[in-house]
Amino acid sequence: MFLQNIDLTTALRPAYLPDEVLLFVQDNVGLYEGKFKIPDHQNGHVYLTSHRICYVDNENPRKHSVAIDLKDVDRYEFYAGLFKSSAKITLFPKPSKRSSLQSRAVSDLNTPSRSATSTPLSRAESPFHLPTPELPPTSSATWICTICSHSNPVPSNFDPKTASDRTPIPPCLLCGIKPALAHVLKASILSTTNRPSSHSPAALRTPVPIRGRPEIPRPQSEAWGEPPSQNASQATTGEATFPCPRCTFLNHPSLPSCEICGASLVSQDLPTGLNRPSLRPESPGPTLNHLPHLETQTNESIKLSFRGGGEKIMYERLKGSMTQRKWLLQGAPPVPKLSRPNNESGSSMPTSSSPSGERVKAMGIAGLEQRRRDVQKNNELVIGGAFEDLEALMASAKEIVALAESFSQNGGPGSISDSNTVADALGLVTTKDMLGGGSNSETLYISELSRNLAEFLTDDARGVLRKAGGIVSLVDLWAMFNRARGGVELVSPLDFEKAARLWGKLRLPVRLRQFKSGVLVVQGSDRTDEKTIKTLLAWLQDLHSFPPDKEVAWDWQFFGRGVTAQDAAERFGWSIGVAEEELEMAEEKGALCREESIEGLKFWENWIIEDRWAQASLTV
Amino acid sequence: MSTTQPFTFPKYYSYPPFFTRQPTLTSYHAQLQKWSSLILSYCRHHRLFKLSIIDALDSNLFNNKTLGRRLREVNVREVLEYMRKEGRVEWVGKGTEGNEVWVWWRNPEEWATAVYEWVDETAQKNTVLTLYELTESEATLSQGMIDRCGGVQIADWG
Repeated sequence: MFLQNIDLTTALRPAYLPDEVLLFVQDNVGLYEGKFKIPDHQNGHVYLTSHRICYVDNENPRKHSVAIDLKDVDRYEFYAGLFKSSAKITLFPKPSKRSSLQSRAVSDLNTPSRSATSTPLSRAESPFHLPTPELPPTSSATWICTICSHSNPVPSNFDPKTASDRTPIPPCLLCGIKPALAHVLKASILSTTNRPSSHSPAALRTPVPIRGRPEIPRPQSEAWGEPPSQNASQATTGEATFPCPRCTFLNHPSLPSCEICGASLVSQDLPTGLNRPSLRPESPGPTLNHLPHLETQTNESIKLSFRGGGEKIMYERLKGSMTQRKWLLQGAPPVPKLSRPNNESGSSMPTSSSPSGERVKAMGIAGLEQRRRDVQKNNELVIGGAFEDLEALMASAKEIVALAESFSQNGGPGSISDSNTVADALGLVTTKDMLGGGSNSETLYISELSRNLAEFLTDDARGVLRKAGGIVSLVDLWAMFNRARGGVELVSPLDFEKAARLWGKLRLPVRLRQFKSGVLVVQGSDRTDEKTIKTLLAWLQDLHSFPPDKEVAWDWQFFGRGVTAQDAAERFGWSIGVAEEELEMAEEKGALCREESIEGLKFWENWIIEDRWAQASLTV
Repeated sequence: MSTTQPFTFPKYYSYPPFFTRQPTLTSYHAQLQKWSSLILSYCRHHRLFKLSIIDALDSNLFNNKTLGRRLREVNVREVLEYMRKEGRVEWVGKGTEGNEVWVWWRNPEEWATAVYEWVDETAQKNTVLTLYELTESEATLSQGMIDRCGGVQIADWG
């Protein structure tokens, strides 16, 4: 239930629900389930909207993109990160009815000392992690470190029945302090007794987690209880010292365990740990060996690991949207209109301006003036009320959008086609303040803008590209796009061009093309020069069969006739500039040739080049 | 002098873009070749050995009156320059930018063969022929090969 597959737009962004508003975007985010990384979900963008948190994977966005409905989130916690551990936001699902009892029991156990990162729900209670049902649960219990409150799993081979003082207990994963045996014992026994009897019989056995069984190769979760050793093969030897992966103390390379915290130093995979940039695409934490099954009942928490920063703003925005509970508004009736004190029916919609009793009295010009004043007053009221504070703006968003639409409709006949884009655009924009901090927030903004643009272009309802004959100049698009944004958060030409240049890199379905004159145009990535030439030639071929408007001296059935850029623009719906460039491109390729006369520049099928004559003599 | 039968222009003569200099290199090259062959066949048909640019500009050769299109002087010079490089035309006089050109619709070797064949056919081998006899005699006229201008050329070759 918690993680859901989502639909992506053509620009590989999550498709928004009605009334859904994008609040925040951050890249370089990985997903954890409980303590374990979810494979293939380790590097992606996270979109916080008013309804959901969407994860879109960078590598394979169509396959590995999931979302969490905010309405399913019970609570959320913030963990600021420590040493090399990235900042994280943990989302706890609302307990389902079936498992509410057990989760509460475990929660009660852990609550007194729960830290921000603690995972109160033991992994044994997420049966979907088991590759096959007969396997024992992966992990049984957690113990809370008395020093740093980190919740650690009880080691796999720890058996409360046989445990003694000599039983090796690994130190706390976070702070490296060894726990008292009794402490671990207690946690282990508690978790065993708390396990519901309705659970599979395997779960009732003494917890023997998977990593304790050497016959199953689990290279990444094998090293539980040991320092995170992910890629031992990447180890670079020959370093004079290397830092402890836990406490970052620089140990002598021959030491088997850290001098300070006692952590084993068997793996040397992070020799440059201290010098690494804050941006960390790979986390050394253990990874799940299989994907969590979507739509399975689970109480496992989901963690978002922010390796590129931005967690604080994300947390703030998440807090805001959790408080607002926009999803409750879905399908709700619009906000009731503000009632005027003098009992006049106030309405911002020009269509619903039904005259009330008072207005009937005023007739003629006076009546018109009166009505105008009323509408003006009402608009003032709405706008004034909306900007009183941000909360009110959120509440009256619908009215404001309606008002904006009515304004743009009144703007003139030319702007009507754009007016319907205003409402959409308000919900779609990625603005600079939606993006997280970090060193790469600028590039993130550009790439989001690039996706935004691609969406705008390929949106079938809007048909920007289709209306422009599949090709539109960048300047026109810039104007169109900014108009669609309704005058807020306009995009600078510089950013716009940068964003357009990113399309190729992001593998989006539109491309930027430069004509030889330097004009930049935008077209679908499937549209090639060859295709354009083909359509042009097919058109010119048609002209062989249709007699020209006026008498011509040449054999039009053989040669056809020349076309101007104007003709081509009309025919294909291009702008004149684009038509000129396309024709010149075709000329350059040898498909067309030109004729300069008093009638202007015309383009013809190329009968000058020899091989076309050879072809013609065969066919004619 | 000129034959009564009018010169039949090739089809591309009535193709309007033919009179506009093509900016694309491949098209331009093909265009030059077409003009070159048109000028040569035109001159051959009308027995022209010398072409005056100024006069020719208004002739049918460069001015298609039915189409209302003409080749501009600059472009005519370009075509002629191209033909000169091909060895089909030579400026009259020393300069490169004259107003008249010799048009070699037969090059010297071709002329030599033609003269030799005519001498051979009329059994005049080992007979001394004056230039006048060669160019103006009734015999050669009937052959219709050479006229005065051609004679001048032959004289030029020595």
